[in-house]
Amino acid sequence: MSADVGKVADGRGVAVLWDRFKPDRRKALYGFIAAALIFVIGDQVEPGFASGSGVKTVLVVASFVALVAAGQTFVILIGGIDLSVPWVLNGAAVLLAVTAAGSNSRAAWAIPLTLAMGLVIGLVNGLGVAFLAVPAVIMTLGMNGVMQGLTLGFTGGFTCGSCSSAAPGVVHTAVFGSVLGIPAVLIILFGVAVVVTLVLSYTTFGRQVYGIGNNERASYLSGVNVKMVTVLLYGLSGLLAATAGILLMGYGGKATLGMGDPYLFESIAAAVIGGVYILGGRGHYLGSLAGAIILTAIISLALAKNMPDYGRSIVYGAVILVILLIYGRAERET
Amino acid sequence: MTGIPAIQQRRRRSPAAHGLSQNAPLLLGVGLLVLMVAIYLGLYGNQIGRLPGNFELTSTADNALPLVFAALGQSLVILTGGIDLSVGGVMDLTNSVSALEMHGSTGHMLLWAVIIVLIGAGAGLFNGLLIAFGRLQPILVTLGSLAIFQGLALKVLPQPGGQVASGVTSTLANPREPTAFVVIAVGLLLWWLLRRSSLGIGIYAIGNDRQAARANGVPVTRVVLATYTISGAFVGFAGLLLAAQTTGGDPTAGDVFTLISIAAAVIGGVSLTGGRGSAAGAVVGAFVLTVLVNVLFFGHVDPLEEPLYEGLFLVVAAALTALAGLLLRRRLR
Repeated sequence: MSADVGKVADGRGVAVLWDRFKPDRRKALYGFIAAALIFVIGDQVEPGFASGSGVKTVLVVASFVALVAAGQTFVILIGGIDLSVPWVLNGAAVLLAVTAAGSNSRAAWAIPLTLAMGLVIGLVNGLGVAFLAVPAVIMTLGMNGVMQGLTLGFTGGFTCGSCSSAAPGVVHTAVFGSVLGIPAVLIILFGVAVVVTLVLSYTTFGRQVYGIGNNERASYLSGVNVKMVTVLLYGLSGLLAATAGILLMGYGGKATLGMGDPYLFESIAAAVIGGVYILGGRGHYLGSLAGAIILTAIISLALAKNMPDYGRSIVYGAVILVILLIYGRAERET
Repeated sequence: MTGIPAIQQRRRRSPAAHGLSQNAPLLLGVGLLVLMVAIYLGLYGNQIGRLPGNFELTSTADNALPLVFAALGQSLVILTGGIDLSVGGVMDLTNSVSALEMHGSTGHMLLWAVIIVLIGAGAGLFNGLLIAFGRLQPILVTLGSLAIFQGLALKVLPQPGGQVASGVTSTLANPREPTAFVVIAVGLLLWWLLRRSSLGIGIYAIGNDRQAARANGVPVTRVVLATYTISGAFVGFAGLLLAAQTTGGDPTAGDVFTLISIAAAVIGGVSLTGGRGSAAGAVVGAFVLTVLVNVLFFGHVDPLEEPLYEGLFLVVAAALTALAGLLLRRRLR
């Protein structure tokens, strides 16, 4: 640690660090500019889209994607992927509904229990990837099936009485409450964004994450505990998916089956259009955050214009491809 | 520099040992299939009082058909080191078109069967062009094009419906005749021809080491375009087979095939890092997953809990494959 501090104190070290992060931050900046552009264009097409309340609505909806994308960013940074997101999220919402049964006093232990469930599932993913050498795609896909089976079996296809109990008041407040006019869920997201950014950019752990993503073998040889970092990152992804599940349940009022499905591809898309390199090692969470806002703004705009389902899907895919073509291209091979 | 001679040393081993370690994942897939079939036979014999006959055999093959072709297409892409997330979208699209057009005169249906395969090929070419000339990662291109193909499917067939002529079903997936085996054999034959062409060599070369392939004169761009196009044709046909099997169309029925086609390929020993695997593996993987569904049915597993056992099976199978490959490589080193 003291060596790091020495390097940073020395001017050259700072320059090196800055150079290293510049492209990632630049892509995040492009992302926010693109998001702002969509709001400006959207306001022409649909007056009021970029008004205070319009922006607030989009940001609230984007915050669920952004939370899941935070976990996805963690694992993509080491060249992994988390396909278990949909049913970890859905399972968390159902578990909270059943254990809290709409009561605030029960929520006091039900929420930590739900978060722990997400963390444990994520850690199991990580253990499979790191120690059993199961490809991340297969491990997390299998875990998604496990969580889907458990959730569906446990609720009997959502026939149980407590499955559809209303979100506890405290969860409702965590989404809809506001501090100085700012929705509470955005404050939670802001906190997550600050923590994730600090962890990735300014801690040894963060440096190790980028190190593994760039060259796993070199990281291992230079003493990084690759397996432990991997397990932890998948754990964090599970924890964040569960967090999103809890908040989404508060937003919708209750848990529903299939509520997590859109978040798989959206979380990956948010990360990559925000400049997180899919093979790992490069990217910044602020980019994923911008990506989540871009995607949500486009979907909201299409919804506001009553665009039919098929049109929304095509526009969505086309926008992802266009953004990637603008700045997601690889170096030309010689 | 000291690491390089060590690596070369390690790779030097007898051809037989090399072949065994190369095919170990496929052999494991076959082992899993044998195990699954044995469990299925045991459960079936125990509950029905006789062993499954030709009808059960052909229906299993019928059920496996769409996944077999989706996995064949997926494995081609995986062999180049890519991955295709748009498989489900392409199948949605061709499944929907099939439901609208696969009836009427034989000539009409044959024409549309060709068009449907071409739609698949065109979708694959679209992916390939973006990957080759857009210099984008396959997973990202197909993530975007998945939404586009899904949208097109919804445009073609807004809700489940349509009708596939019974002749189509009896030609492709007839439970009373072993037609499915003929279709699968044709698919394997096509793949075998491809494997032996210079294109096939290029696919494996790119999957193993793209730079080396380029340096050795493999026309990388052309091979990538051809691979995605051919893969798309296989997947497009899988959508038609799905329509034949279900005798109707559903613009979202193909979605599940994106991920299970990857799972089938991996269970059959196709390496996700590219360059290793075979069509036989993809077919074996597809059958393992299909027989697993039968096993769960005769095991009286609550249909709602099926994903749980499928997920566990996937993880355990992949872990066994990874461990066995690791042990074998260590022993043969």
